[in-house]
Amino acid sequence: MISQVFILSSKGDHLIYKDYRGEADKDAVSIFYEMVTALSGDQPPVVMSHKDLNFIHVRQGGLYWVASTKTDASPFTIIEFLNRLAALTKDYCGSLCEKSVRMNFALIYELLDEMVDYGYIQTTSTDILKNFIQTEAVTSKPFSLFDLSNVGLFGAETQQSKVAPSAAATRPIMSHRSEQGGKNEIFVDVVERISVVIGSNGVLMKADVEGEIRVKCYLPTCSEMRIGLNEEFSIGKSQLRGYGMAVRVDECSFHQAVKLDEFDTYRILKVCPSQGEQTLMQYQLSDELPCAPPFRLFPTVEKDYGNRLLIFLKLRCDLPPKSTALNVSVTVPVPKSSLSLSQELSSPDQTADLQLKNKAILWSIPRFPGGAQLSALFKVEVPGLSSASLLEVGPVSMSFELPKHTCTGLQIRFLRLSPTHPGLSQRWVRYVTHSDSYTIRI
Amino acid sequence: MEWASQLCENRGLGSKMTDSKYFTTTKKGEIFELKAELNSDKKEKKKEAVKKVIASMTVGKDVSALFPDVVNCMQTDNLELKKLVYLYLMNYAKSQPDMAIMAVNTFVKDCEDPNPLIRALAVRTMGCIRVDKITEYLCEPLRKCLKDEDPYVRKTAAVCVAKLHDINAQLVEDQGFLDTLKDLISDSNPMVVANAVAALSEIAESHPNSNLLDLNPQTINKLLTALNECTEWGQIFILDCLANYTPRDDRESQSICERVTPRLSHANSAVVLSAVKVLMKFMEMLPKDLDYYGTLLKKLAPPLVTLLSAEPELQYVALRNINLIVQKRPEILKHEMKVFFVKYNDPIYVKLEKLDIMIRLASQANIAQVLAELKEYATEVDVDFVRKAVRAIGRCAIKVEQSAERCVSTLLDLIQTKVNYVVQEAIVVIKDIFRKYPNKYESVIATLCENLDSLDEPEARAAMIWIVGEYAERIDNADELLESFLEGFHDESTQVQLQLLTAIVKLFLKKPTETQELVQQVLSLATQDSDNPDLRDRGYIYWRLLSTDPVAAKEVVLAEKPLISEETDLIEPTLLEELICHIGTLASVYHKPPSAFVEGSRGVQHKRLPARAGSGESTESPDVGQSVSGVSDAPPAVIPSQGDLLGDLLNLDLAPPTTTVPPVPSSMQMGAMDLLGGGLDSLSGSHYRTEVPSPQPADFSERELGGDLGGSPAMGVGVGVGVGVGVGLGPAPVGMPAGLGAAPAVGGGLGDLFDLGGGVGMTSGSYSPPRVVWLQAMKAKGLEISGTFARRGGVIQMDVSLTNKAMSVMSDFAVQFNKNSFGMAPAGPLQVLTPLGPNQTVEVSLPLSSTGPVMKMEPLNNLQVAVKNNIDVFYFSCQYPISLLFVEDGKMDRQVFLATWKDIPSDNEAQFQIKDCHLSSDAASNKLQGSNIFTVAKRTVEAQDMLYQSIKLTNGIWVLAELRIQTGNPNYTLSVKCRAPEVSQYVSQCYELILKN
Repeated sequence: MISQVFILSSKGDHLIYKDYRGEADKDAVSIFYEMVTALSGDQPPVVMSHKDLNFIHVRQGGLYWVASTKTDASPFTIIEFLNRLAALTKDYCGSLCEKSVRMNFALIYELLDEMVDYGYIQTTSTDILKNFIQTEAVTSKPFSLFDLSNVGLFGAETQQSKVAPSAAATRPIMSHRSEQGGKNEIFVDVVERISVVIGSNGVLMKADVEGEIRVKCYLPTCSEMRIGLNEEFSIGKSQLRGYGMAVRVDECSFHQAVKLDEFDTYRILKVCPSQGEQTLMQYQLSDELPCAPPFRLFPTVEKDYGNRLLIFLKLRCDLPPKSTALNVSVTVPVPKSSLSLSQELSSPDQTADLQLKNKAILWSIPRFPGGAQLSALFKVEVPGLSSASLLEVGPVSMSFELPKHTCTGLQIRFLRLSPTHPGLSQRWVRYVTHSDSYTIRI
Repeated sequence: MEWASQLCENRGLGSKMTDSKYFTTTKKGEIFELKAELNSDKKEKKKEAVKKVIASMTVGKDVSALFPDVVNCMQTDNLELKKLVYLYLMNYAKSQPDMAIMAVNTFVKDCEDPNPLIRALAVRTMGCIRVDKITEYLCEPLRKCLKDEDPYVRKTAAVCVAKLHDINAQLVEDQGFLDTLKDLISDSNPMVVANAVAALSEIAESHPNSNLLDLNPQTINKLLTALNECTEWGQIFILDCLANYTPRDDRESQSICERVTPRLSHANSAVVLSAVKVLMKFMEMLPKDLDYYGTLLKKLAPPLVTLLSAEPELQYVALRNINLIVQKRPEILKHEMKVFFVKYNDPIYVKLEKLDIMIRLASQANIAQVLAELKEYATEVDVDFVRKAVRAIGRCAIKVEQSAERCVSTLLDLIQTKVNYVVQEAIVVIKDIFRKYPNKYESVIATLCENLDSLDEPEARAAMIWIVGEYAERIDNADELLESFLEGFHDESTQVQLQLLTAIVKLFLKKPTETQELVQQVLSLATQDSDNPDLRDRGYIYWRLLSTDPVAAKEVVLAEKPLISEETDLIEPTLLEELICHIGTLASVYHKPPSAFVEGSRGVQHKRLPARAGSGESTESPDVGQSVSGVSDAPPAVIPSQGDLLGDLLNLDLAPPTTTVPPVPSSMQMGAMDLLGGGLDSLSGSHYRTEVPSPQPADFSERELGGDLGGSPAMGVGVGVGVGVGVGLGPAPVGMPAGLGAAPAVGGGLGDLFDLGGGVGMTSGSYSPPRVVWLQAMKAKGLEISGTFARRGGVIQMDVSLTNKAMSVMSDFAVQFNKNSFGMAPAGPLQVLTPLGPNQTVEVSLPLSSTGPVMKMEPLNNLQVAVKNNIDVFYFSCQYPISLLFVEDGKMDRQVFLATWKDIPSDNEAQFQIKDCHLSSDAASNKLQGSNIFTVAKRTVEAQDMLYQSIKLTNGIWVLAELRIQTGNPNYTLSVKCRAPEVSQYVSQCYELILKN
């Protein structure tokens, strides 16, 4: 049972404080902030206790979302709840930041009152909540296309024609009373996160993809939406459908509201999306990627004369030539005593520098087209270089973003709404793959 | 929007309440202004004013002075304003109880409102005003709302009962609200059911003995139905409530599990974990050989793996839970090692938890993979993580024997990096590896000694000193090395000092000539210049020991040390059981029982897992088996538990010279025993029974003076006894010659004793199970096969009857076996010489050999057979009694028997009950011998006959058993020990079959 819920800014300001059971003091807020800021690196911050009060918190939008409890409550319940609370706040207020929470505190209090009663969670569904919520959201600014502070899912894609402006997906959902400019739009995002470990011999040691289909809905009324996935989509190792390249995942879970009666035969998800953001489907695939991992690295590390370490990296992007990877960054750990770096890169838009704090070289490549190969030579000055310090080089880790690409090959065939309002509603489908943990051992 | 911008300007106020300038200059004016606005006629202005008040309240300003003005705004038809006023009321009612009464009338009126939203809002808010006086006004409206037509009002009212109960429990009982609440469990709306369950569960916790939440099959059924329709949060309440129920039998348990399993694929991790809790608990009641049990195990893995793709916060909580589940049922996740490999961007607290689970899952099958990962981790940047990774390599070496060599070479590679903290951790774990595998890896000592100077942490220094002392004879300059440590003796930590003292004494005993000076120096440092009682006393003991009897000192100090146990830092079984009952709660994250952090009455009752149905299974899980064999509840640790020591003592009386025989304290049973060297006998018996007190002096010598790296807490006890030893020149050394003298005589005595069992009469024929139908005619185109197995004259035979129930003649019979656990294969063709006419039966005896290809089957004694005839090929599987495999030369020499029994780890011991058997021990022994179960020895203690028996299987596996038969008690107890513990269960089945036939 939840005793209190509070939201703090990163500086510890009280933004929201709600006491459900009257069993703990308001001092708890300051105690929590002191504890969380005093934590050392290896102490797990998620669950903390002070006397008989237990704090559970998550960080979202730069804010601390905290719940306290005096009983042996379920931390899963509370973490899920806090994440939902943050998501709902985002849905209702448009964006998630200190300012929007401050401006909409009355709305958030109202939400909290309806979501939890005496510490028992009642509901977190926008469909139910919209019957009770009276307060209207206050947005910080008039909605603007050129609002650069709101970088959406695909920061780099905004220029392209057939793509919705990223800010379109960050506005409040509550438009049933004030209809001004509220467009009937629905966004379906297929987001995948890939984690890969490639061994020093170039063998793919581990490859996992976690993905989800997310819907963000601004339609006031929508009785049913049908989302068609690839027909050859299959779940589990044994189940293969059709011929040719199957799109396969290991495990799949669905939102409670998704109806699956047509899923088995036609791979169609049916759902009546409620306003706001929902994750309709989550899936994961491990060990058997249908295509090659997006990046291959061919490293050479050797000792030059004196105290110089030579690191030569050849990086190849194995995406199809049409695709491009964005914001690629490569981190190469170097010996702790490294002093300085000089580099030779193949094009001027790339950068590389030695981060003394982390003892690593950071090589950034803003755009990396599929099929291309880039190389870089790093010369690192390491006083007292020994053969043992060569062991400290690596493993290389990478982060990147692959727009319009899914690693599992999952595609959305169609998106149908019923009843159809011709011309009234706009439907957007977007794909992106993010790197989660992409490690290449040397 | 003024209040909002004002708020933004004053950010930081919450944490800096001492902003005196703000308070002194504006407070008064602001309150005054707000008062005016609150009393304004305009609705909008009023609303804005209340919002401002609440904004101030949130940042911690005291706006209680405005109470009457805010309450005045309450009577409004604007729901938004009403909600804001209620928010204020809930916050300040407690500090202004008298004024809160003013609001009561409005609440009562609102409870009659036609709008259900307003009714619910009123009853919800009233319950949150925690003022005693208000409760009497609350009862009537609450009663009405509990029976309201709108489910939204009912579900709110259900929670309100819990609120009221917290303020005034007596009132709730008097007014009969509890009964109404119970009725709501059968409500048609699942949300109401969920809230009623939640409210009742909480109220029931404060009345532990009440029968409030009367869980019976009917209510459980209702809950399970509501489970499918509820919101996700309601499902959690219901699942948590289900977890408190104890099913009557395994069938009910299975049916609940079946209905809970679909929750495992829910997107909400809290629902998943609550379902896992229910399943883990009820699974305990399912028999392990049930097919469903295996299916359930398989179903549990994917949801747990899925949790690891969530946010780091959830991952951490999930990993803490998985840690418990892996300790309880490692089989669930044994194939999922890879998901626990760390990602470079995991937060450190997730990395450390993953590492821990990796070690728990490490086995011979995956050790190569694990080691390769650990080696990578050991070169990462994060110091804490690297340390833990190095430790993990050591734990792998100790856990998986086959990997020890690889681990040691990996550790040596890491030492080469010369990274200070890596070297220190590596040395600490290598010390443990030496303890586990003595005389195997000492070649690395030279490399370790090179790094002596870089050690600055006490634990690493102590480990290094232990190594130098233990292997002083192999290190040429051991004396110089130890001497170098001695220079700063007083600056060292206690751990290092104690270790240094012991190491130098060891060195002296090994090289007495060169090191006399050194030992004197350390003894005087420890005894004269130290304030630490542990150190001083240990010094005195050594001193006296050395000065009185150096030979005895050698026996004591250089005694062989027991090997360290495989698995460290496991959670104690009873605690683990309790924590399994709390999966998905804070207890499972802290790994502490709820009573340790939840105050007062709540959650004090300790939850236990239900007992498994059926008796023969009770010892399946290793922890239970252990407590049966008498090791008590002590957690396994590096320091040997009592059980190991007793095990070692057992060794003393049979393996003659060298060690001391401790005097045995006279105990109750001894009086009742015959003169046959009773003391020793009771000692060897002490391994099986727990009542014999552990002989202190021996314990002492093994544990303390032997100089392991045990911490000082245990020292205190040891020293107390030890001083006695020193001064009185106590029992240990004196006892030795006597013991030695006694040993041969006793050996003879034991021999006589053992002979009793040997000569017992002749066999009465091997056991053969009744004939059963293996293949039904309708499944095999008219061919019916039935049969049995027998062992005749050392040959296994499969007696088969083939019946033709079809209309046509059958011919060309042939038989083939699938690979099986014991390599059974037909030794000849299936001899059906004439074609088999319709309705004819032929009996064939098929000799079997046990040299065929081997593959482990499930169950172990499963045999898959293919029979071919002119019509088709048919497959069936059958199970043979494992007694078929008991060979004729299975009688073990009694000396070997005792040594083997001792040698097999007690984890491998399984205990079974054989019920309703009325044979005398001799008759039983005879009967068993017929099936090649040989009685090696028989002993009678207090009307209890113990038969020690040995069995040899065709593949050379020895099975040792102890059968305990008490006169007049039809229930026998069977303890089975075998190096392949999976056989035990089948052996016990054979005992049962043979004895009852």
